[in-house]
Amino acid sequence: MTAAAVLAQAVLLGGLAPVLPGVVTRTKSWWAGRRGAPVLQPAYDLVKLMRKRAVYSATTTALFRVAPWTVLGATVVASLVVPLAGPALVSFPGDVVFFAYAWGLARAAMMLGALDTGSPFEGMAASREATFSTLLEPALFLLAGGVGLVGDVDTLGAMVQVRGHDATGWLVWALSVVTLTVLVQVEAARLPVDDPTTHLELTMVHEGMILDHSGPDLAALQYAAGLKLATGLALLAALFVPVGLPPWAAGLATAAGCLALAVGLGTVESLTARLRMRAVPAYVLVALFAAGAAVLASAWHGNGGAL
Amino acid sequence: MLFLLIGAVALLLGAAASLVLRQNRARVGASIGAQVVASVFTLVAVAPVFATGTPLSAEIAWSYPVGTIAFRVDALSAFFLAWSLPLTLLGTIYAGTYLRPDLSGGRNPGSHVALLDLLSLSFLLIYAAQDALVFLLGWEVAAVCAWLLVIWSYRSQKIRFAAFNYLVSTHVGLFVIAAAFMTLRAQAHSMDFAAFGASLSTPGALRDVTFGLLCVAFALKSGFFPFHTWVPRAESAAPAHVSALMSGVIHKAGLFGFLRFTLLLGVPEEWMGWTILAFGATSAVVGALFTTTQRDLKRLLGYSSTENVGIAAMGFGVGYLGLTWHRGELVALGFGAGLLHILNHALFKCLLFYGAGAVSRGADTVDLEHLGGLARAMPRTAALFLIGGLATAGLPPLNGFASEFLLYAALLRSGASGNAAAALIAFGACLAFSGAVSAFAVVRAFGVAFLGTPRAPLAAVPADPGWGMLAPMALHAVAIALLGLVPTLGLALVTPALRLFGPPGTSEAPAAALLTNVGTANLLLAAGIAVPVAVGLWLARRGTVEARAPIPTWGCGYPAATPRMQVTATSFAAPFARLFAAWIPPVVKRVLPQGYFPAGPGLLRSHPADPVEDRIFEGLGEGEKRVTDAFGRVSAEPRAVFAVGLVMLVVLAYLAGGTA
Repeated sequence: MTAAAVLAQAVLLGGLAPVLPGVVTRTKSWWAGRRGAPVLQPAYDLVKLMRKRAVYSATTTALFRVAPWTVLGATVVASLVVPLAGPALVSFPGDVVFFAYAWGLARAAMMLGALDTGSPFEGMAASREATFSTLLEPALFLLAGGVGLVGDVDTLGAMVQVRGHDATGWLVWALSVVTLTVLVQVEAARLPVDDPTTHLELTMVHEGMILDHSGPDLAALQYAAGLKLATGLALLAALFVPVGLPPWAAGLATAAGCLALAVGLGTVESLTARLRMRAVPAYVLVALFAAGAAVLASAWHGNGGAL
Repeated sequence: MLFLLIGAVALLLGAAASLVLRQNRARVGASIGAQVVASVFTLVAVAPVFATGTPLSAEIAWSYPVGTIAFRVDALSAFFLAWSLPLTLLGTIYAGTYLRPDLSGGRNPGSHVALLDLLSLSFLLIYAAQDALVFLLGWEVAAVCAWLLVIWSYRSQKIRFAAFNYLVSTHVGLFVIAAAFMTLRAQAHSMDFAAFGASLSTPGALRDVTFGLLCVAFALKSGFFPFHTWVPRAESAAPAHVSALMSGVIHKAGLFGFLRFTLLLGVPEEWMGWTILAFGATSAVVGALFTTTQRDLKRLLGYSSTENVGIAAMGFGVGYLGLTWHRGELVALGFGAGLLHILNHALFKCLLFYGAGAVSRGADTVDLEHLGGLARAMPRTAALFLIGGLATAGLPPLNGFASEFLLYAALLRSGASGNAAAALIAFGACLAFSGAVSAFAVVRAFGVAFLGTPRAPLAAVPADPGWGMLAPMALHAVAIALLGLVPTLGLALVTPALRLFGPPGTSEAPAAALLTNVGTANLLLAAGIAVPVAVGLWLARRGTVEARAPIPTWGCGYPAATPRMQVTATSFAAPFARLFAAWIPPVVKRVLPQGYFPAGPGLLRSHPADPVEDRIFEGLGEGEKRVTDAFGRVSAEPRAVFAVGLVMLVVLAYLAGGTA
């Protein structure tokens, strides 16, 4: 891997992180018939936040100051495992486990930061986030197992390049698209699971946990959220990028795919309402069942079509 | 062997000195001193076994009817001895400070610390025994010591009941294990483990039945679901260091017994591997589920033990399948993951129980509904507890991640085909679920106890404990971080034991290759977090201007927020508990206010119930009634009932074996 490839990957993912939320917002404005904020608005917000001072509640401890940057660090390291242009920067057998657990660490840090404020709303949001994640985690591992089985691969970079050679192969591919879509919607806190533009604290999940953060700390959390969205969309986009492209073309195609998917997310957000909080676990189960079906299909594939 | 003998003698002398010395300081000191000597000599004795893999052995001539007693320290024993004694030593050091408030109230710690010495001695017996009789002797010494250690606060009826519950459970296990040994003895005409091996490695119904008996006995000892009900009870009743040692060290004897007999089993049947895997996965999932709703911090940690022994057993199940399928890679990954998880769990679970002990000394309660905001008053305890908690949840870059990673690697990429592969992947998803649930439980427990503000006025003013308690905790935390950042170090510790499980030439290489990558990734993650955190703290310092008045947490426009409005342990778990209400039913007691102007106050009280325990007690009550009805006076003699049960087990085993 050349230095240029490393740089290209870093710039692509790092650059997409603040842009993609802007694209989603712009799409929603377009559907609503408004002109909307510039696509780079999240990036301007980050710059503004970095120049501000943080305000700390008297209830909080040092943990509250460490948590946002832990979230950022863990999210960045997790994103290194994702292939964008050519092979991923960090790739080893079973890296998908590391990826999931690095996100898990970021999630735990975020929830602890929220609980540190003693705010009832933040506690409620953390509780919801934790509940959804318990259902989502098994889905990711089922999917990784199923795709790994059908494609005989063991790294995340190779898994997103598994395409079908027959009907079962394509079925597994389609099911991974479904699973990853729900995964992105839950993990990146998008509709119909969580409304990033809600104004009511009672209904917040991700926004609820960052209510008390401000200044550079909030910037770190916002950037991490954008990076998480970019990482998830890049994984999803990679499923649609033809296998065997040269790195530069694959990088461009993934980036274009991310932007297109962000427009798709915005469209979904414009056309659907948010689910009731109690209905969200059922929606997450869609991912779990799709991933389970992928495992069954790959087992069937391995049995040579017999049960 | 001589060194181990010196260690054993030192422990006996230390125990005796603790009993006869006059001053409390000298009593505790004698116990600790003896354990230091024993730990050092044990480490010296087992070091060559680690290095060369050649077992130490000795025989002691004994009078009729025992004959000679054989001792043998192979790599498996060496692995267990190498951490059991030092961890017990750290626990005893912790106890010296932990018990201090009781001692100033006039209690005599002599017998308590002497028992801790005898506990170490029982490890020497169990782990070095090559003879079923000595094994049972050590087993019984450990059980009785643990029971006596649990009832330190014997004046409380609740604690006596919890300890008695443990004593009964562990002896039910003893009866099952005795039945298994008698069956084996009848085949081998010897109590020597090597002779057991001959009959245990012959396929047939007898082997299947004996294997089943052994599994049940060892599962009872280690607190597997559904034999776990005594664990949270005993561990919430015991002093913190006893809970820690029970959960982290003593219960591991069950897993050791299981592994010891695995070595004698030869090539196992395929159903054995699947059974252990399913059994372990059930414990991991159900144990994790129970941790989510507990109010009592120590009960929560007790359930977490059930979860973690389940994870270790899942590793052994994969190893069994590897042995059956003659797949060296699965043997290395499965047994490697299981053994490594045993060590990792011992480290983080002891740390967490010590943290809970510090909380109970500092705040005078471990009820999560009454705690809150302890991180301000006890910052060191909070930081150490958090490290242990994150390790329990298997989060990188700490040690829990290394062992779980090996297990994931084995389950997700088993190399099996078709249905077997799909089943293994489904078990991987179970592991992922239990991991996410235990992250939930850790965030809840830490968040509610240490963060926010106190939910109820505390009886005591909390403060960090003395160095006698903090230093052992810090040592555990250092080991957790070290085994997380350099997981190959942990693998090096289990490698000699691991090599015993496969056919000669079994190599740890597949696990080593994976863990080298994990180590690099963990270092990357640690650096990737340290740099932004440093930048963030610098930015915060740069911008800080002293506020004129303390700034409150934003109340979302509500001006009269009180600490009682914070999320509580119950309300945090509520959305999750609602999804799994069938598994974790709450017991709710409510008295609702009546009429427009209620005269008395209302009441709402809820606590988590253990459905398994409820059913066991129901079943026992029902069963006792039937037995009483059927046999009139038999149930008045419980010993007779147990003897009848034991004989019946042996007869059943013979019948099953004879019909094969």
